[in-house]
Amino acid sequence: MTEEQNSKSGLTTSSNKVFGKMLQWQLSATAVVMVIALIVSGLHAGISALAGGLSVTVGAFFASKIAQRNSNEAATILVNLLKAEAVKIIIIVVLLFITFKLYKQLVPFALIAGLAAAALFSGAAMSKLDKTELEI
Amino acid sequence: MEALALIQAYTGVGIGLIIGLGAAGACIGIGIMCASFLEGAARQPEMIPQLQGKVFLLLGLIDASFIIGVGLAMMFAFANPLLSVVTAAN
Repeated sequence: MTEEQNSKSGLTTSSNKVFGKMLQWQLSATAVVMVIALIVSGLHAGISALAGGLSVTVGAFFASKIAQRNSNEAATILVNLLKAEAVKIIIIVVLLFITFKLYKQLVPFALIAGLAAAALFSGAAMSKLDKTELEI
Repeated sequence: MEALALIQAYTGVGIGLIIGLGAAGACIGIGIMCASFLEGAARQPEMIPQLQGKVFLLLGLIDASFIIGVGLAMMFAFANPLLSVVTAAN
């Protein structure tokens, strides 16, 4: 195996772990907010928080599939990352629109709380990134 | 009736500001980060694999404020709490 191939396979393993960890953090944050909303404001608040968190998590899942495409060129990697981000935003907006339109008993503040928690906790996977880099 | 129209008008302006300023801020942040990524990749191409994951996660963090803004804007568009207070009073 050449050094370049080693580097590429290392990237795939490291990236998979990081993206997996990111989704795990987002799901955990969504679950915590959902439980809090469920206890504080009832069933509909819990479902709203879950809907908000899941819209971000589903968007991030599809974005991570696009971002994992391998390439050696920095420009191609950057274009893939920007495409992934665009797909993520489109998916989140569509899912939120569907939620607001179809769910009549929606609790908006719980939805925003779930959405914010899931969006902000994606950065927590940075800690995992540093650990996997040491393993390579 | 006039109060309702005023609230709707100001809410529309607010939604525009939330989306517009949020998008502008996110775009500036992403532009700066992408420029730094290309600069780093040009200086040390062997660092590209390590940088890719970090750039993706930071893209998510930069966009988080915009996504939260979109959620708030949708709340004001579809389930405006200010409007419901006035309609309940009437």
